Amino acid sequence: MNKKEIEKWIGGDESASEMLSRVSSMRPFLFPPPLHRVPLRVGNVVELVGPSPSAKTHILIHAAITSVLPKCYGGLDHLVLFLDLDCRFDIARFSQLLIHRITQHGTDSYDKTLYALCMARFLYVRCYDSFEFLHTLRTLHCRLEKEKEVHGVGVHLLMIDSIGAFHWMDRASMFLSQRENSKKKLFLQTMSEAVVQNIRKLLQVHPMLIIATKSVVFGNRYSTASNDVKVNMEEGCSKNVARNHQNFQYREYMPSVWQSFVTHRILVRSSDEHPVTTNYQNSSFYLLEWLLPRLSFPDKIVVKDAGVFVDS
Amino acid sequence: MAPLESLEKEYPLIDSNFQSFCASHGIFSVEDFLLHDLDALLSFTDNHSTSQTLKQGIDQLISIIDALHPPLLNGLQLLEDAQRNKHVLSTGCEGIDALLRGGLREGQLTELVGSSSSGKTQACLLSASTVVAKHKSSVIYLDTGNSFSPQRIAHFVGQSSGHIFGNQADHMLKKVLDRIICYSVFDVYHMFDVLHQLKINLRSEIVKSNQHVRLLIVDSISSLITPILGGSGPQGHALMISAGFLLKKLAHEHNIAVLVTNHVVGGDDGISKPAMGESWKSVPHVRILLSRDCGSNVCDISILKHPSMVCHLIRKFLYDVVYVS
Repeated sequence: MNKKEIEKWIGGDESASEMLSRVSSMRPFLFPPPLHRVPLRVGNVVELVGPSPSAKTHILIHAAITSVLPKCYGGLDHLVLFLDLDCRFDIARFSQLLIHRITQHGTDSYDKTLYALCMARFLYVRCYDSFEFLHTLRTLHCRLEKEKEVHGVGVHLLMIDSIGAFHWMDRASMFLSQRENSKKKLFLQTMSEAVVQNIRKLLQVHPMLIIATKSVVFGNRYSTASNDVKVNMEEGCSKNVARNHQNFQYREYMPSVWQSFVTHRILVRSSDEHPVTTNYQNSSFYLLEWLLPRLSFPDKIVVKDAGVFVDS
Repeated sequence: MAPLESLEKEYPLIDSNFQSFCASHGIFSVEDFLLHDLDALLSFTDNHSTSQTLKQGIDQLISIIDALHPPLLNGLQLLEDAQRNKHVLSTGCEGIDALLRGGLREGQLTELVGSSSSGKTQACLLSASTVVAKHKSSVIYLDTGNSFSPQRIAHFVGQSSGHIFGNQADHMLKKVLDRIICYSVFDVYHMFDVLHQLKINLRSEIVKSNQHVRLLIVDSISSLITPILGGSGPQGHALMISAGFLLKKLAHEHNIAVLVTNHVVGGDDGISKPAMGESWKSVPHVRILLSRDCGSNVCDISILKHPSMVCHLIRKFLYDVVYVS
């Protein structure tokens, strides 16, 4: 072994601080409640399932605020990208919750520079159809690089609200129907495969945690307007009915390529004990339950003006 | 989007050779290209004699795509847009305004749900006349059941300008009616036609600020959508969701408040629920339920869904101005 090789071997690949920053970004981290039960790490894909409304977007906003806040404020100190496929995101609500969060740690007159820093770290793209979504995913790499340079921190959290937004449009799409190869596959499948593939590629260069919401599009036949979920469905159509305990069922409608991409799954639904129909202290109650990994106890969560909390 | 042939003129790299290469992989348009695995495509070029130019063509296509992407905004820019461009429009009905903290928000899709004769159309007509009179702007009114009533509008205008008489009142009424553009629409395809035409008009006539459209009403959207929802195919639902996205896109890009009405249907256990099912639920920003006991003037308004309000149901009893005739 010549001297050069030995020097290279001793020299090592990276400095301790480089290693620390690399390792700490890969290390699992805990979100504050309501997502506190299971540690998550970059590369995980979390799916939040629930009927509309079930505070899914609220939970996303909550997690987003945690991510953009600096470490000394209990945050994770990085950028968040919010892909709005439902086109219903309300920035005023985000700003309101952010101010609530900041003032918890200080006085009533909140820190304007901290506020501006957090708002600037929240990145947002809105897509009106599947092709725009695909477009966005394809071009995200360069744009995320640019943002990383500007802010000095990278995007570690990608949110998709909601992944099934274009389901019906894609299902009915005639876009590949004239082609020969379309007979083998539905457009819906092709699209999902392309989406998952693009996200996978993106994750290789930008390690991120993904949280996607999914609304239940196949309503339960035996549901009512106020109490959509608390129903028992008959055994008959159990072929592709996902089952959870005895009292809630939703139909899986995403293609299998997405289903196998998901690593964690959370179910949100309205709580029976405090029905959302009562105006109970200006807040609404939901149950949050981990389906993957399966945790047997559901958390009761409360949505108030000030944000999302776990009800003890 | 564009077929590859149409790009040839502008971008010489996308020549017939490149097109035939793409066609051999089933790529005929930019959409096909988006769906295709890029790395696989790049590795295929290696087997070709002209791999260098093919790769350049692919790079060219990627740069075309890059230029088209939807914008990436940060929270500050979003908030600035919301504060500058997305105003709140009064509906003229105190109960609804109080509940919604001021009224309908531009850029949002608000849905009024209620059984027959619960006051949905009245609320639409009142909002139309209020927005025109108060905000000096135009209103697009899609009427699906011949329920648009100029007499009602005249009544509302008369009510709000009680101290003006004679010619002046007529003049004012004429001005208001001039600015409510009403379309009779009887099927969903006609609605798409009208909305697409509106989109084109709005894009080309941005400068005409005195005719600025700020409110779009579809009364009722459910009577257009429910007939196409039956059957086993996904086409009906696809049209419904596309209509939702088209309305939201119009609302967001042109800062228009969109107000649609929906009827209620009986649930399985006798409790009525909004029509159009579970998939529609995730379309509107705001859902308001109107209900009225038979023969009374008391209107019950509640919020089923709101992006920034927590409580999903607030009950308010009020003597609604809508019913005073």
